[in-house]
Amino acid sequence: MTDTEKMYKVKANEFEFSFTQSDIAALDMVRQSATTFNIIHKNSSVNAMLLEADETTYKKMNIEVAGENFAITVKDELDMMLDQMGFGIVTHKHLKEIKAPMPGLVLEINVAEGQEVVAGQKLLILVAMKMENSIVIESDAVIKRIIVTAGQAVDKGQILFELE
Amino acid sequence: MMKKILVANRGEIALRIMRSIRKMGIQSVAVYSEADRNSPHVMYADEAVCLGEAASNQSYLNGDKIIAFCKTLHVDGIHPGYGFLSENAEFAQKVEDAGITFIGPSPAAMRIMGSKLAAKECVKQYNIPMVPGIDKAIDDVDLAIEIADKIGYPILIKASAGGGGKGMRVVDKAADMKEQMERAISEAIASFGDGSVFIEKYVTSPRHIEVQVLADKFGNVIHCFERECSIQRRHQKVVEETPSAIITPELREKICEAAVMVAKSCNYTSTGTVEFLMDDKFNFYFLEMNTRLQVEHTVTEMITGLDLVEEQIKIARGEKLGFEQKDLEINGHAIELRVCAEDPLNNFLPSIGTLIKYIRPVGEGVRVDDGYEQGMNIPIYYDPLIAKLVVHAATRREAIKKMLLAIKDYKIEGVATTLPFGSFVLEHDAFISGNFDTHFVKNYYTADKIIEKQKANAEIAALVALKLWMDAQKITIPVLHKTTSWKRRLA
Repeated sequence: MTDTEKMYKVKANEFEFSFTQSDIAALDMVRQSATTFNIIHKNSSVNAMLLEADETTYKKMNIEVAGENFAITVKDELDMMLDQMGFGIVTHKHLKEIKAPMPGLVLEINVAEGQEVVAGQKLLILVAMKMENSIVIESDAVIKRIIVTAGQAVDKGQILFELE
Repeated sequence: MMKKILVANRGEIALRIMRSIRKMGIQSVAVYSEADRNSPHVMYADEAVCLGEAASNQSYLNGDKIIAFCKTLHVDGIHPGYGFLSENAEFAQKVEDAGITFIGPSPAAMRIMGSKLAAKECVKQYNIPMVPGIDKAIDDVDLAIEIADKIGYPILIKASAGGGGKGMRVVDKAADMKEQMERAISEAIASFGDGSVFIEKYVTSPRHIEVQVLADKFGNVIHCFERECSIQRRHQKVVEETPSAIITPELREKICEAAVMVAKSCNYTSTGTVEFLMDDKFNFYFLEMNTRLQVEHTVTEMITGLDLVEEQIKIARGEKLGFEQKDLEINGHAIELRVCAEDPLNNFLPSIGTLIKYIRPVGEGVRVDDGYEQGMNIPIYYDPLIAKLVVHAATRREAIKKMLLAIKDYKIEGVATTLPFGSFVLEHDAFISGNFDTHFVKNYYTADKIIEKQKANAEIAALVALKLWMDAQKITIPVLHKTTSWKRRLA
């Protein structure tokens, strides 16, 4: 690897990898048809299939490997630079929130606004698919605002509480 | 004699029951909630009626409404499936009182086996071993703590009216007892309308072995061998198989004989399942009898060639069993994986969403019982079960191999499922060797191994993508021969 070698970042579902041009040069890949490939990687023979591609840029693709579908985003150095600039602009809010770890119905809320809570304390009970799950807080805090009400359906990731 | 059967259930089991009904030349009636209008069971049925809003107590648990529809539609029989009203003796009684055949055991047998106390009392005379615990269901938290101290931890809290792991909790230490007891009672009230629970000694290293029984109204009771259901998460079965890898023919005879005795003790009729706990020394204890068709009945069907729903209907019609114990043989090995909308990478929490992609595996000895189609939503109101993936092969080893291939061929996108967990189990040495118990998940399972495997595949996908992108930058080499637009499938 030389200093001038270009770097690439590739996102595949939730995984992100950094590659160099020489990584690609070393890739043992045979094209079997327009959309099917065989790769020998670390001595494993693996088949891959191109399911979808953004034909104008080829920066977004869906590739299936061993039966699993991966949504791919390719980033070159320019993209990475733009990303970094983008990140620079965003000011991180230090608002702490408790989010729903899963979708469900709020069965009951066990705390009140303004209440001080301690780590491990139960905040509310969420029911989904007939299972009751206690949502507990991981560290001491003060409940600033309760966003949801009992009986309400919530999505995964929806904010349940705001903390001081 | 029976011309029209209403299936008081939803999802995969409603569809599976209707298939047998249709095969027998009987008309089927589906019931559905507002959330299930698009479900395959509704489309498959000859007639269908909407019960009401999505919540179970507004729809599938509304027995009176179901009976009223039966009268309007001139239904002769009700098949309750599993869950919902299937083990509700009061409902079964009302059905019989309305002059409709309940396709299941008698209300009397359901009452006995539905009450853990009555069940224990009933089987006592047959010397069937039982786990230490209390004889009376309680809903008093303080009393529960007192009793638990006496029995000694760990203890198990079980809803009196429960089943299928609902309202069941293990408590390791006294400090957790109050909270766990409160949750168990609350869950029991929400699920069964009855908050009383049992407390018993929790057998460590237990295996869950159950026996399928079939009993007609002429006193003939036979068993259809055992099912091994030890692979569980949250006390609910995920992987089931038959025959069990550890049961010898001698032990099989003993445990199956005990199961037949349990069925006889309550004058049982219809299909039923007698559940046992087995400790590491092969001692077995009577747990309970499930007075219904079980989720995992499929594996028994695969190795015996029986259609258990058909047998249930025939028994309900008053027919004699068409075969005897000696006619039944174990043919090969069958494994079932419950494909649930749960995220095995996130503590098996419910994963709800739309089935963006849904492609079933096919092949000889591969059976999929499901109740969804591509594009459908998984509702939050009901069980997370999407499908049951069942394989049948000549040997256990071959069945494991077949299941692993079938899991690979099962394409589900849009929701996380237990499919990757299934692969984890079937590739694990403990499962392969047969040396496992109901603590399999606690003892062996971590999401890391699944994530590691996904990451390895992701890396290859990423490398391929980058190579394709680089190739696309060289104008002289056309990457794709056909021009296609983004989001249009190429292959």
